[in-house]
This record gives sequence, C-alpha cells and structure tokens, in this order.
Amino acid sequence: MTRFEPKIIAFLCNWCSYVAADAAGVSRFVQKPNVRVIRVFCSGMVDPSYVIKAFASGADGVLVAGCHPGDCHYLAGNIKALRRSFLLRKLLSELGVEEKRFRLEWIAASESPLYAKLMNEMIEDVRNLGPCMPSSQKPLKGVA
Amino acid sequence: MPKKKLAVYTATGCAACENTILDIHYDLGSLTRSADIVFWPYVLGSQWDGLNEQGPVDVCFFAGAIRTEADRIAAVRLRSNSKLMVACGACAAFGGLPSLTDLHPETPENRPEHLDEGNEFLLPKLESRVFALEHIVDVDYFVPGCPPTRDFLWAAIQSLVYMGDSPTRISFTASRLPMALAESITSGIVPPRGSVFAGEKAVCASCSRIKEEKKFRGFYRPYEIDPDSGRCLLEQGILCQGLATREGCGGLCTAVGAACRGCFGKAEAVFDPGAKMVSAVSSTFDSTEASEIEGLTKTFVDLAGTFYRYTLATQCALRTPNAEEAKHAPDNS
Ligand code: SF4
Ligand code: SF4
Ligand code: SF4
Ligand code: FES
Repeated sequence: MTRFEPKIIAFLCNWCSYVAADAAGVSRFVQKPNVRVIRVFCSGMVDPSYVIKAFASGADGVLVAGCHPGDCHYLAGNIKALRRSFLLRKLLSELGVEEKRFRLEWIAASESPLYAKLMNEMIEDVRNLGPCMPSSQKPLKGVA
Repeated sequence: MPKKKLAVYTATGCAACENTILDIHYDLGSLTRSADIVFWPYVLGSQWDGLNEQGPVDVCFFAGAIRTEADRIAAVRLRSNSKLMVACGACAAFGGLPSLTDLHPETPENRPEHLDEGNEFLLPKLESRVFALEHIVDVDYFVPGCPPTRDFLWAAIQSLVYMGDSPTRISFTASRLPMALAESITSGIVPPRGSVFAGEKAVCASCSRIKEEKKFRGFYRPYEIDPDSGRCLLEQGILCQGLATREGCGGLCTAVGAACRGCFGKAEAVFDPGAKMVSAVSSTFDSTEASEIEGLTKTFVDLAGTFYRYTLATQCALRTPNAEEAKHAPDNS
C-alpha cells in the first residue's frame, strides 16, 4: 500500500515565517513536499474561516506561523492569532478535527532550521493521524 | 383567478412552523378564499392516498428536516406533486435542531429497534445523517426561522400564492426584505428562485442593544447571569450570535435579554457561523497571556452545538454532505 501523503496548508507571515521558509529552501534543508504555503501579511489576518475553509477543502493539517510575540510588524497581530487559536482548536476538535492538525507557531526570519523541523514534525504527526475527513459520515465528537 | 392548491407538511420537526401558518390570524380567512389547502395532515388529518386525487399542488410548504426514510419519501412525493417547494423553517432550510443529533450519532448500543420480533414496523429507518430539504430535492424558496416569523411567512404566502393579486399590501415586511425581493413582491412578480424570505445583513444591525468597547472577562451560560438591559449581550459575556446570523426577526430574542442562537441561519457575508463566532468572541478576550486565554476558553461548553444550533447540516463548512451521501436512501436495516 502506498504511504499516506498528507496535505498541509501553511499560512506564513510575510515578515518572518515566510522568510524563514524561503531561507530553509535556499539553505537546502531537507523538507518533505507535503506543504502548500500561503503567504499572508500577518498571522493576525488568518481568520478562523480560512482555517476551516482549508480543512473543508481537503487539507489534512493547517499551520499558522507568525513573528514572535513583541516582533509583529503590525504590533499585535500575532496576539490576535493567539487569542483565537484556543477557541478555534476547541471548535475543530468538537467537529472531529484532531488537535494536532492545527498548529500556531512563532518562527522568526532567522529560524529556518526551526521551520524545517516543525514542518517535518507536523507532517509526521498528521501522517499518523491519517486523512482528515471531517466528512458528514464521520461521527462527531461533540461534548459528552 | 382559479383557486390555488396548497400543501403543508412537517417531516422531523415540531409542527410550530405549521402553527405559524395559523398565526396569520384574520389573513387566514382571506387566504382560504383564494387557495385550498388540499394536504395538511397536522390540521386536516389528510392522508397520503388523498394527495394523488387532488392533482398537482401549486405551493408546498415543507417544514422539518430529513432524518428518517419516511421523511425522504415524503419530500420526494411532495416535490413531484408540487410546482413550488418552500423550505419552511430552520429544520427544512438548514437541518435545524434535529441535525444536532449528528453530534451524538447512533451506535449499535444505543440504536433503537426498527422492527420487533414479529417483523412489525416500529420506527422508520434513520438516514446516515440528518439532511436539509435541499439535500434531497430541489427547493424553490426558503423561509428561515425557528419558527419563521409570521410576517415573512405571510410575505412568502402572498408572493407565491397570490402572485401579485394580493388582497393586502405588505409594507412592513417589504421594508425588511432585501430590495430586489421586496420590489418583486410588491409589484407582483414571482421572486427569483432560491430567494430567502429574510434580511441580508446580521441581526446586530437591527438589534437595539448598545455596543460599546468589547471586553470579555468570562463566559456565562444563560442561567448564570441577569443581563443589563440595553447593553450588547456579547459584551456582557453571553454568547450572542447576532453578528453571524441573518437579520429579519428584528432581534426578537435579544430584545428580551436572551442571546441570539442563529435560527435564521448565517448572514449572507458569513462563510461559516462557527468560524465567525470564534473570531468575534476571541477578539473580545481581555488578555494577552496564553495561559489566561486558555483558561477562559475552557469555560466554554458545547461550541458546535451552540454555533451551529440550527444549521449543522448545511452551514457548517466541515459537515456539508456530498452528492453521493444525499442520493442514497438508508440501508441500516
Ligand atoms: S424550524 Fe423550529 S418551529 Fe419549525 S419544525 Fe423545526 S423546530 Fe419546529
Ligand atoms: S451581539 Fe447580540 S446583543 Fe450584541 S448587538 Fe449583536 S445581536 Fe445585539
Ligand atoms: S434573535 Fe436570533 S435566535 Fe432569536 S429569532 Fe432572531 S435570528 Fe432567531
Ligand atoms: S507581522 Fe508577522 S505575525 Fe504580524
């Protein structure tokens, strides 16, 4: 049987994580080809509906990455992303999307090795979970 | 004008939608002068056998979600007998409250018996999940709400049954409908197929409560707090869904201090009501500390059942059924 290749959507902040991802490529760190990068201006602009839409369109995992707290180009966009992430993760898990499929990380422009490491780690986590099928067929978890 | 023929039916629902039709009061008298209700089991005790003898129905008001095999059969039969099919109420339009049963699916342990030992029929078979009417058959118009408000239902009846030969004019309701819909109704043109008899914007737009600076310090369930009158409920820590919900009721619930739960479905511009609410609620958290925010988040219960209270089957982006699923009748014997 062929190995399951997860599809990961990565929303990367233009000012830091995207630069890190770029640099990771330039410095030829080994990276798996499962990631589709979407460059955004700030992690704060990744509305929960983008994340839900990514899952609804067939993503198996979603990463949102931004500048470290205090370093956001727009002052506190990353704090906005942080505020939303908890409630979003809770809603996703009630709808059958496991916690590990959605990650929020801080990756500075200089941290390309960290980017490569996190990405590869997430790909393996999601591979182990299998395809994300928040399909109507799948029983929902809801609350007990 | 020859008398129109109407049918009214509720699948998996509560029949309050049908009561709303009775709720048009004196107008019911004028309605029966221009239309015959030829099939209405709830009020007239109509039998299915009688439906065929009546010939084609002009407008069918179908309430209730599709949860059982019997619901599916009823939907298909009424669709093929009717010129216009109206999904009446949140259950028919979005899956409504019955679709919440999908949060607690049937398992072999909790499954009810469909047949007893003598193979006597007990309960109709359940579908693989709860569907809205439009998943099963083509729907021409939608009247949302749980139940719909009498004004919109009356607007729908007037425009679809009278087709412009209306005995009364509907200025109040027309002022709340989107312009194109209002104009077509008042000028006697049948509104475009797929129209929703409700507003376009969000409930907040017509809610009378005052919105100030939004700061969320804690989350309260309805019984835990007596909200201040006049102030936005969301700002007081009550999960009010007015900003993700289609306008039209005029803030019926918020006016009496109860949070909007979204019975009109999502507002036109909203992609997914849950995502919208996550964004709206978390942006009001008065904290920048990860641990503190996490603590606040833990106080929330049943997000899916709250944000998709009336719409789980159709408006939750992660739950939209594919065509295959909707096509197949259940085989869970
Ligand atoms: S929409 Fe509400 S009032 Fe109408 S049948 Fe469903 S539960 Fe009852
Ligand atoms: S959130 Fe609720 S209470 Fe606040 S303005 Fe909107 S509808 Fe009114
Ligand atoms: S306030 Fe919300 S829940 Fe109440 S009737 Fe209006 S749309 Fe429905
Ligand atoms: S600019 Fe990078 S997170 Fe805001």
